[in-house]
Amino acid sequence: MRSAKTPFVATILVAAVLVGLLVWQAADRPRPKAKEPLIVYCAAGLKPPMEVVARDYEQAYGTTVQLQYGGSGTLLSNLRIARRGDLFLAADSTYLELARSNHLVAEVIPLARMKPVIAVRRGNPKQVRLTSDLLRADVAVALANPDAAAIGKVARESFERSGHWAELIERAKVLKPTVNDVANDLKLGTVDAGILWDAVVRQYPELEAVAVPELASAGQEVSLGVLRFSAQPTAALHFARYVGARDRGQLAFARAGYEPVAGDAWAERPEVLLYSGGVNRLAIEETIQQFEQREGAQVTRVYNGCGILVAQMKLGQQPDAYLACDVSYLTPVQNLFNPGIEVSETDIVLLVAKGNPLGLRALADLARPGLRVGMANPRQSTLGDLTVQLLERSGVADGVLANVRSQTPTADLLVNQIRTGSLDVVVVYEANTSQVRDFLDVVHLGVPGAVAVQPYAVGTHSAHPQLMSRLRAAIQKEASRQRYAALGFRCRGEAAGP
Amino acid sequence: MSQGSAPPAPRPPRARGGSDRGFLAALWVIGSLYLVLVVAMLAADAAYTSPWHLWQSLQSREIRYAIRLSLLSCSLTAILSLWVAIPIGYVMARQDFRGKSVLDALLDIPIVLPPLVIGLSLLILFQTVPGRLLERVVPVTYAVPSVILAQFMVACAFAVRTMRATFEQISPRQEQVALTLGCRRSQAFWWVVLPQARRGVLTAVTLAWARSLGEFGPILVFSGATRLRTEVLPTTVFLELSVGNIEAAVAVSLLMVAAAVAVLLLIRAYGSEPTLTQGVRP
Repeated sequence: MRSAKTPFVATILVAAVLVGLLVWQAADRPRPKAKEPLIVYCAAGLKPPMEVVARDYEQAYGTTVQLQYGGSGTLLSNLRIARRGDLFLAADSTYLELARSNHLVAEVIPLARMKPVIAVRRGNPKQVRLTSDLLRADVAVALANPDAAAIGKVARESFERSGHWAELIERAKVLKPTVNDVANDLKLGTVDAGILWDAVVRQYPELEAVAVPELASAGQEVSLGVLRFSAQPTAALHFARYVGARDRGQLAFARAGYEPVAGDAWAERPEVLLYSGGVNRLAIEETIQQFEQREGAQVTRVYNGCGILVAQMKLGQQPDAYLACDVSYLTPVQNLFNPGIEVSETDIVLLVAKGNPLGLRALADLARPGLRVGMANPRQSTLGDLTVQLLERSGVADGVLANVRSQTPTADLLVNQIRTGSLDVVVVYEANTSQVRDFLDVVHLGVPGAVAVQPYAVGTHSAHPQLMSRLRAAIQKEASRQRYAALGFRCRGEAAGP
Repeated sequence: MSQGSAPPAPRPPRARGGSDRGFLAALWVIGSLYLVLVVAMLAADAAYTSPWHLWQSLQSREIRYAIRLSLLSCSLTAILSLWVAIPIGYVMARQDFRGKSVLDALLDIPIVLPPLVIGLSLLILFQTVPGRLLERVVPVTYAVPSVILAQFMVACAFAVRTMRATFEQISPRQEQVALTLGCRRSQAFWWVVLPQARRGVLTAVTLAWARSLGEFGPILVFSGATRLRTEVLPTTVFLELSVGNIEAAVAVSLLMVAAAVAVLLLIRAYGSEPTLTQGVRP
């Protein structure tokens, strides 16, 4: 007789091998490693915090970061001509906007906020307390040129609203091209007051800021742009995420006097959870895969009927973002999310046999005696609910509902049922029909209300709100919009780049 | 049958032979009805797809990943199920204790519950404080371990049933003899009972493996349907079907059939290996 111990030990060995294979399979992913040094075009004014962050990053990950300093405008011209480099950090958002509108920048990661303030020499010798003090005869004021510098533009907008601008520009002693020129004038004592960013004031120990209500609501973000022509976008984004992380780069910016923004938590390879209505899957799947690869992130997506997703969220699941089937399925869980942005819409249509042999053209036709109709369940799905509303508005609900042979929780089941020939007509989203248009015909209803709108919302608790916003931007890019359009969706909002 | 003058001896066997043939034919007819249905189903599947679709499926990186994950996770689940099912099955078959009927009912719960409910319950479980603490050490929800856990919950229940029936059918006599000859209980288990339970063990492994391969409901809820991460073959079928891509769904289904047949044949072959069956014979 033999003991059964030997086979038992064999099962342990086999199990160990299987676990090993599973771990190996999971680890078998490319890691973002920059072979070349990262080249950052960095506005000279932002040197103090950026130098700290770059040094920390080099120590942590062994990637060399080359900071190329210069004026924002000069840097913009440089990178435009050179067409190399990885990141662009401009002194204010004007230059980044310019770069973006010229398709030089792909992703934009906000790092900090700046607010305009009145700046005076330390101790405030001229006792400047209010905006009206700038108009006093004994106070010499320097302003940044509103056509050349963002701070000048922001000052003009704010003071035009308060009615001070005309007099202020009249009395200003000098207009300077950049914010640092104004600060230098103040430091040298050639003027008594000027309008500067609060962060710039903090970099000059000789100056102090005076906050006035007229400027309180204005402000703008300092952002880091990933250059479109970067040869190593994943490595560039890795660094950009590090700089923008609230527990990494933003700390250095806060120490340098910048007000932090709602940055992401740092994660070398962020893992986020996306809930999506099943109807969106084909439209977004490729975009998400490209996004994961470019960002070096892991997006776990859960596709399901929105009723089920809502139930899971009510049970305590908190996805980082949610792409609903219809706005009505965001409302019940809105407390978990920031306001949704409408991404797409799709029509409610009839799906019939090729050539439409029964000549079905409108909802009223579905009431014909003996017709085999399929529709989504009104309690389980948005589509079913919207369908019943449409039928009731058309006054044919009773007749049509009597013909319903199949009610399903999701539209895709209806598509499969009519493909097998067990139904004559089904009411589905146009977006459900993309794979079957060779076998079946789509009949548009042409009545108002026959549409579902898909909103995208970022979770309020998410540790990666910026990453999730970039995912939304990726979904709204032109290439993604084309995929949406090919599937029978119409996109809402402006395209967020090519 | 009742011809009085004829010699009785040769007749009855012939008569009996005839009725045996009828009986066996009836068995064959009834059996083939079912087999025909199974084969017809597969044939209909095969007719719905084409070698091109099969080839396309195998070309897809996502589907190749799903195949690998399915095979690895099912095999691991089958082994885990066995490790748990043998002790439970043995205890339930050999020992009597208070509350046994309650325990018996509990063991059947994973079989009775709808698959979606199992997934949902696991999801809720891992949202509790101990669940969250565990997740900090090993990420489970929406990750590969969740696939194995979801498969295990159901597959193990089937393995337990099989092992219990197996141990119940093994006469305790040989075990008792071993005990009277001075064996300890554990020695009797390893040397006498478990070798006798060989066929049951193989059946339990096969059942657990096959059950895991088809597992879908709990995985969809508890593991998500993330391509290249938690996508197993039934998820692939679901994802393809949910967009009306029936050809691809069927192609993947046929791949599953092929994988299942291959593994089942392999286990059967291993089970009938003579050197191993010697173990049960004195």
